[in-house]
This record gives sequence, structure tokens and C-alpha cells, in this order.
Amino acid sequence: MEIELKEIDKNRWLIPKKGDMRVPGIVFSNHQLIKDLRNDQSLLQVVNVATLPGIVKQSLAMPDIHWGYGFPIGGVAAFQMKEGIISPGGVGYDINCGCRLMTTSLKANEIRPYVKDLISALFKNIPAGVGSEGAIHLSKHDEAKVALEGASWAVKKGFGQTEDLERTEDYGALDGADPSILSDRAVKRGLDQLGTLGSGNHFIELQVVDHVYDYWTADRFNLFEGQTTILIHSGSRGFGHQICDDFLKEMTAESSLTGLQLPDRQLVCTPLTSDLGKRYLSAMACAANYAWANRQILMHLAQETLITALSISPNELDMKLLYDVCHNIAKKELHNLDGQDTMLCVHRKGATRSLPPGHPVLPRIYKDTGQPVLIPGDMGTYSYVLAGAQGAMELSFGSSCHGAGRSLSRSKAVKMAKGRSIHRELEDKGIIVQSRGKLTLKEEMPEAYKDVSQVVEVVHEAGLAKKVARLRPLGVIKG
Amino acid sequence: MTKTISEFTILDHTADLGVDITGSSLMDLFENAGRTLLHLMFRVKPVKKADLIRISISGNDLADLMNKWLSEILYLYAGENLIVTGINIDSLSPASLNATLKTSPFNPKFHKIIREIKAVTYHQIAVTNKNGIWTARVIFDL
Repeated sequence: MEIELKEIDKNRWLIPKKGDMRVPGIVFSNHQLIKDLRNDQSLLQVVNVATLPGIVKQSLAMPDIHWGYGFPIGGVAAFQMKEGIISPGGVGYDINCGCRLMTTSLKANEIRPYVKDLISALFKNIPAGVGSEGAIHLSKHDEAKVALEGASWAVKKGFGQTEDLERTEDYGALDGADPSILSDRAVKRGLDQLGTLGSGNHFIELQVVDHVYDYWTADRFNLFEGQTTILIHSGSRGFGHQICDDFLKEMTAESSLTGLQLPDRQLVCTPLTSDLGKRYLSAMACAANYAWANRQILMHLAQETLITALSISPNELDMKLLYDVCHNIAKKELHNLDGQDTMLCVHRKGATRSLPPGHPVLPRIYKDTGQPVLIPGDMGTYSYVLAGAQGAMELSFGSSCHGAGRSLSRSKAVKMAKGRSIHRELEDKGIIVQSRGKLTLKEEMPEAYKDVSQVVEVVHEAGLAKKVARLRPLGVIKG
Repeated sequence: MTKTISEFTILDHTADLGVDITGSSLMDLFENAGRTLLHLMFRVKPVKKADLIRISISGNDLADLMNKWLSEILYLYAGENLIVTGINIDSLSPASLNATLKTSPFNPKFHKIIREIKAVTYHQIAVTNKNGIWTARVIFDL
């Protein structure tokens, strides 16, 4: 099916409202990136989301959009609280998959001789890969506390500092979590996976601040050129997956009763006002909080590892959390709708919140700068730190992109990598990589992703967030 | 662009992994689908001892049933640490499935993990019959 696209300006494209669409679609993209979208079904997914009840303004796609299931990855959609729906497929299986960036006082040229050893130490100390289990084995009682308290549970257990919480989206815990409604399967899968990285595109990366674009904001973010940073990408592990799966199946079972015709079964949804909708949001909050606790613990493990491997003191390392963002979530947020502040349920499926300076939800430390927006690229190029901008409130329900976005399927990437040593190629570029999965490096090779710099340029030029600094990888561990 | 491996075909999906599975009968299709999932995830050396597990699943229709059937096999690994080494479907209707599964606890000595499949999605899921050949399309979350 050919989707009509009309260029609004050099960074925005309109999908006109047609057929069952309740609102038009808007794709943030440029002439180069938009070409790739013709090769997959992501634009059709923007159209499909536009048919859902209660959607307001537009079905949005960030510039890293690619073909997902149900929602496109990079999809953003906001729904009215009374007439609107909640869709687990609009959040994703890995509920609160997200990123956490830490700064250090170390200069990259000081640690360069030790990068190989540091990556080996991180790989040894941080459980990663398929079904990996951590050193933390929760009782059911403690798991319920993690689900309720999120990152603050981890801080209370000695993983990090209280000040980390204001440097975490929503202070590391969503309200409304209710562990009593979780299935036995979800509870069981969460017991042994706290403090583990997972597999696929999850990683911990040692980086250098390669370029600063905005010195005033970088200074307030404690970023400087030549500095060593650490970026974590992980989520709610099997716990979140099971919760998503449980509710997809329950909503599917109920869907025959609602009579709602969906263009894709993965878009199955239920009214926000229904008992099932409320239960999903409570269960989703449990998984989101688990993910924040997980990344809080992963940060602590990385800190301990670097201190030991470099034989330095915590003060010498001076690791500080810059920010933790989630990019798979649905949240109740206030947005301006037809001149009125209106509570909406914003689905972000592979999209990062991007609040501008002065936004009332921001913590004191980022009131003047806007929210740090963390955009990981592929393991061979760059990641970016941006700051939330006013345009996001006007154009994208306070949202930005979440990464580079895949351009090649995993099978194509593996085929393209045949006979090549991705490990060696990256090492030749000065990037040390260790991974658990045999196929991971091939599936995740740099050519499998869009050009993250172009993705970020669209976000910057469209006014969704502004560039602050660029980070270059020194070494990566992957699951 | 597709790649054929015996009774299933891998589809190109940008982020995840899709397969088209065929079977000469509905029961054959569901058995092949289960075996395809296991083939995509593991390489298993023969193990003499296996425990039998009986499962019963119900669904709205054949596509829903397919999703739940494969999700069940996936859960046995992800939640119970059990690898399914043999599948026998005892009975099947458009609304329910009963099967007996041979399982053994995951052991890296005998079970090599090829890739992690995290979920069975409902995206584009379909079970169809054309000219007597049953086909299922399933997209997995990786």
C-alpha cells in the first residue's frame, strides 16, 4: 500500500487523513532519511495508529522511525482520557526500555591504554545475554517493593545516591503501580533478573565527549570535551515482557466483546477508563519501576567495576548520573490542546520525552536547561546528548527520537557481515567490543542503523530538542 | 527478499524476525510452528531423559491460538528454564489445543542458544488455508 506523503518543510512530512484515520500523520524526517521508509511498513503503521479511538492532533513518527509491530518504532500518539485507549503494543514488550548516562572526571586520553581491560572487567562483572541472571535474587516481597518504589528501592539498598533520583525521569518511579495484580509468571520472571543487561541491542558503552555544541548547557550537564562518559541501555527484562504479553492476551480475549475493528491485532487496546485499562497501567508502572531499579543497579555495578579495574578511589572517578530516560512508555501528561491544558495519555514507543526549560515537571537542576535527552547511536559512530526544547511541546507532545533507528533487518545485516569480523573492524576504529550472543555483533553492526547524526539533525532543526554534545564510543559490552 | 529453510521461510522485518510456516494439515502446521520456533532459538543434542508436560490452550481463533501456543513454548524456556525437545499435538480445534511436550532443563552442555526470541507478537499474525496447504505468518520480538 502506497502511503501519500506531503512535504510540510524540510524536516516534516504530512500523511493526509484518509479512510479510517481519525487524525493525519506527521513524520519528522528529511529528504535522505525518508527514502528508507518506502522500503518497509513503518508509514502504514503511522496510518494504523491514526485509526485508534480518542487519538488527538496527529499520529506522530520521530526521525528514527522504523517498522515495529503495531505502533512503528519511533511512534508517538496521545489519547484523550475519557474517549481514548491504552495499547500495550504502543508501549512495547520492553516496558521502560531506556538510557542512563553517567559523567566522570576521567579524561579519555588517560584511560585509553586501559580500555580493553575496562571492557573485559565490565563484561565479566555485569551479567548480560539471553536469560542472564544477576547476583540479586529477590523474594516476592522485595520484588513487590521494587515494583512500587523503582530506583529509590535500589538506592535504599546501597546502589547509588539519593541525588540520583532527581536525575531520573519521574524520579525513578511511576505512580499507580500495583504488584498484587501481576500474574504468577510475571512475578517469577522478575525474581532473578535485576541488575542484568539483557541481550539484543542492550549495551553498556564507555565513551569520550567528542564535541560540544552548546557550552552553556554542557557546563550545566557537567560535560566537557575529552571527558569519559558511560551510557547504559537496558529495560525491564523478562518481567516487563511477561506483563506486556499477559495484557495483550487479555485484551485480545476481550476484543471480541468491544467490536472495535483493528488494522493490526498488535494494536489491541482497551478504553483508558475501563477496569482492564487501569489494571494495565498499574502493571505497566510496576515494570517501569523495575527497569529504573535495574538501570540504577547497573550504574552501581559499572562504577564499582571501574574503581576496581583502575585502582582509583570513588572521588577520583567522580561518577555522576547525568540523566535516565525511558523510551517505551505510556504516561498521563498535561498538554495544550486547543488552548486548554488537557490531561492526555501519551504513548511513546521508541521515543524520548523532551521537556523544555521551565517545564513544571522538571527537577530543579534542569529547570533552566531543559531535560537532558539521550540518543544512543550505533556502536561504531556516535551518541548524542540534547536538551529538551519548546518545539517539542508544540509539535510532538514533548517528545524526541530515541536512537538511530534500524535501517537493515537483522537477517540482512547478518548476510552483509558474512566473512567479516565486525569485532576487528571496530577495533581498527579504536572501539573495543565484547558480546555474549554469537549473532549480536553482526545484527548490531553500524551499517544496520540509520545515520544517527542525520536523525539528530532533524530533531535539532525541527526544534524538538537542541544539540548539546556528541559522544564517541571507546568500548562496548553487549548481550 | 526471503530465505527458505525446509518448512518455514524467514521474512525480512527491520527490527525483528518474521516467518511463514507451512503444514499439510492444521495439526502439522502447529507442530511445524513449534519446531520452527525451537529451531530459531536453539540447537539441541539428543538427551535420553525427558519429562512430559501436558498443556491446554484456548483462543479466539486460529491466529490467537497460534500466538498462545508459541508463547507457551517460549515461556517454558524464559520462565521455567525448560527446553522443549519433542512436540505431540493431542487434539486441535479452532478454539483449543492440547499437546504433550517433551522437556529437559536448560543445560549449556546440550543446548546451544542461537538467538533470543523474547515474544510472539500479534503483528500481521495469520493462519490460512490455500489449496489444501496451511500457512501461518508469525513475527517474533527479538
